[in-house]
Amino acid sequence: MRRVDLWVIVLTILLTAVGMLAVYSAGGTRYLVRQLVFLPVAVAGLLAAWFVPRRVMHGTSIWFYGAIVLLLGLVLFLGAGPGSRRWFVLGPVAFQPSEFTKLAVILLLARHLAGRRSLELSFRSLAVPVLICLAPAVLIVVEPDLSAALTLGAILAAMLYWQGLRPLHLLLLFIPLLSFAAGFSLWTWIPFFVFLAVIMLVRTNLFKAVITLAFSSFFALLSPLSLRLLRDYQADRIRSFLAPWFDPHGVGWNAIQSRIAIGSGQLFGKGFLCGTQNRLGFLPNRHTDFVFSGLGEEFGFIGALFLLGLLAFLIRRLLVIARHERDNFSSLLCVGCAAVIGYQAFINIGMLLGIMPITGVALPFISYGGSSLLLSYVLVGLVLNVSSRPA
Amino acid sequence: MDARLKRLTQVLLVLFGLLALRLVQFQLVQGRRYAELSDHNRIRKIVLSAPRGRIFDRGGRTIADTRPSFTVSVIPTEMTDSTLPLLARLIDVPLEDLETRVEPVAFLASPVKVLRNLSQEALFRVEENRFRLSGVRTSVDPVRSYPSEDRYCHVLGHLGEVDKEDLGRDSSYRMLDYIGRAGVEAKYEQLLRGRDGYEYVEIDARGHEIGPLPEKRPVPAAAGRDIYLTIDDRLQQLAYRLTRGYQRAAVVGIKIPTGEVICLHSRPGFDPNLFTGTISAQAWSELSENPSKPFYNRAISATYPPGSMLKPVVALAALKTRVATTGTRFQYCNGQYRYGNRAFKCWTGHGILDLPGAIAHSCNVYFYQLGLRLGLDSLVSYCQAMPLGQLAGIDLPGENPGVIPSREWLNQRYGKGRWHMGVLLNFAIGQGEILASPLQMAVTYAAIANNGVFRRPHVLARVDSAGRTVHRAVADVERVSIRSHDLAQVKRALERVIEYGTARTARLREIRIAGKTGTAENIGADHAWFVGYAPADRPEVVFAVLVENAGHGGVVAAPIARQLIRTWFSIPDEDAR
Repeated sequence: MRRVDLWVIVLTILLTAVGMLAVYSAGGTRYLVRQLVFLPVAVAGLLAAWFVPRRVMHGTSIWFYGAIVLLLGLVLFLGAGPGSRRWFVLGPVAFQPSEFTKLAVILLLARHLAGRRSLELSFRSLAVPVLICLAPAVLIVVEPDLSAALTLGAILAAMLYWQGLRPLHLLLLFIPLLSFAAGFSLWTWIPFFVFLAVIMLVRTNLFKAVITLAFSSFFALLSPLSLRLLRDYQADRIRSFLAPWFDPHGVGWNAIQSRIAIGSGQLFGKGFLCGTQNRLGFLPNRHTDFVFSGLGEEFGFIGALFLLGLLAFLIRRLLVIARHERDNFSSLLCVGCAAVIGYQAFINIGMLLGIMPITGVALPFISYGGSSLLLSYVLVGLVLNVSSRPA
Repeated sequence: MDARLKRLTQVLLVLFGLLALRLVQFQLVQGRRYAELSDHNRIRKIVLSAPRGRIFDRGGRTIADTRPSFTVSVIPTEMTDSTLPLLARLIDVPLEDLETRVEPVAFLASPVKVLRNLSQEALFRVEENRFRLSGVRTSVDPVRSYPSEDRYCHVLGHLGEVDKEDLGRDSSYRMLDYIGRAGVEAKYEQLLRGRDGYEYVEIDARGHEIGPLPEKRPVPAAAGRDIYLTIDDRLQQLAYRLTRGYQRAAVVGIKIPTGEVICLHSRPGFDPNLFTGTISAQAWSELSENPSKPFYNRAISATYPPGSMLKPVVALAALKTRVATTGTRFQYCNGQYRYGNRAFKCWTGHGILDLPGAIAHSCNVYFYQLGLRLGLDSLVSYCQAMPLGQLAGIDLPGENPGVIPSREWLNQRYGKGRWHMGVLLNFAIGQGEILASPLQMAVTYAAIANNGVFRRPHVLARVDSAGRTVHRAVADVERVSIRSHDLAQVKRALERVIEYGTARTARLREIRIAGKTGTAENIGADHAWFVGYAPADRPEVVFAVLVENAGHGGVVAAPIARQLIRTWFSIPDEDAR
């Protein structure tokens, strides 16, 4: 007797349907057809992930991880892509190994952490999980694909927390990354610094607080320095996030046009296929990263909120399944999957709404792209796999 | 276990709640503003230039038309740095010219015209490089053309691009718009210009026009009113042809009962097409440096001493004030008249003449004495009723009122008491200080011909809008008091001028003409004048002809008037018979 979580399947179908509508509106028949061609592949991936024996999953995770890291290394030399090397092109098929890195990291982290009873902020306890993330992350950053690398951080954070690492320790673990991110601007750095100071003073003592703040400041200082080392487009994206109206036809164009698209949808939207921002090409990458803007324009607040609801419900559902799992491996797997979907959804929509910098993160299930769709489906497949074992 | 789920759910809710709040802000709170921005984004307002009203002669012949021309515009906000240099090269215009044109409107997101009358080759070059010329548009705009070339230049005037002053005065003009600068084009600018329309087109992010916007109806351009002039093209062509042999000349013809100007020509002229094409620097300097001033409308703006043509006016003034009768005779004319210590000349010895005879033979000695008897003030006030020394009131800009040497005028000119009554003698024969334009002479003789009643001269006959007449010009009536008995005598004398006097060259067998020659004394060669009307018994038309530096009016000017009268009355040429 197998217990299948119908909610997950229904939500997946709904999200896919919304995605198809959005891709059609933004990209026309050409992209819809391609996306429809990807769909059976994605469904096959889902089924494979669903029915692969858990034993095999557990056992091969290290090999899978190894293979992915190898591919990440290779893509740096053999890959293709606009301005960066992210893609493998095999005839008509192009795929991004970085998408599947997320899967490999989830699997290996789940396997590693499942055996650990307690986690604390120590080298012994955290060195291996951090390394599991860091190795591929570094390779991905070099591609360069900063946003994909950060997804690995989100996976690590969620799974460590699930496995019992205290939130404060989690915060401290991520201080280098967070400080670095906040350090790009005083407007983000000062609130972060104050927040950190308050937390540390309330939860620990003055000495630890000072040490932590000094540590944090060091990383924060690195970020303005690194801004010069960043590729121009990356630096521009960060600048445009901070001041999108500054140069309306240059860097901030994307951010403004995306806001105009979403805002002009108002309550009920302009109607399917009637989004002028979307269909007249004011949105950049409108069928991939900016697909939500087109939806917001055409279906309005109601439509956007509906999509947010679908995503939130799915993530919540994955977490609920995680809680009900008896064994740690399955549970952690679900949390990792929820983390990927949640993180990407938040970053993608957040950047369109101007609360995150513009980064190249796809909206799971919705954005056009085979790799992204396949990954979303495989994640769902994994969750179905662990949740539908004999009760 | 439960705590972790709760915590993560809380994080999820906070993060997604943040997104939802942002949606509320953008879509609900600021939605209207973003909707406007979105419309602004995709909508471009394109100005549809109104075709200027056409201008016809009285017979409906087109003398000013509009034709399509290719225009290049740029949308300043959509240009890249390389747009203007490349465009300048393709359309062969100095880069600085384009920059000065675009710089003041660099903030505009709508098209700004930079060049009109683009040649077909240049248009092809622009179209071929379309993809490299972001923000460049080409369109077809109506542009003024003058099939009549330089025949009507002084009636029609010409167009010019609006300048800062025009733009400041009337905000409905846009840069590179044309505005009437002289003649009918200037006088009736508001009728002719029409009203530009607008079209809203949808554009994509690259600025390419997708098509008209369904929800915003275009406002079509309203063409300017069509204007029918009173000018008769046959006469205009003839006047043009007949004066072609002279350097500077002017012809004015008026239909007496109505005041319609049927012919108005001034030589030299210019081709007004030059101003709506791109006038070349060379053509411009040739025109503006021509010592004969081709832009000067001699028919209404130049004034000359009327010479003997004033004599009938002096005679009427004397008759009206009863200082003389038609039978009055004066001292014997032996070719000169002594006044003070000066001898005032006559052109021959006439003996003793009565008044009509003095007019017919143009005896100066008679008029010296008549002028003295009349007195300066009486002569001045009579002339001013004619209208001499004041504007005839034609509906064309640039009319010159001329000069009547009144006491005040002379005091002002020479100083009180520093002028001699000798000016009166010269005045009485139309020489010296008195100056009148060909138009004024034509109007004066129209008044004489029409028993003292004349109408304000005008060139506008009627105004049509979309084929329907919306206005018909009716000229004001003016009167000058003339005793009809006297008038008959003077008119009879004017007929005798043609029959056997100084203007026999104007005689036509088929129709009786009355008129007077004049010779405007000049520092160089004298100017030849003739003014005459026909038919003598029921006057219909009057012509004034002036040819500068051509000597005697009877030789040069009168034959021109004769030809014009012949054409007006459709009398076949003698040679053709």
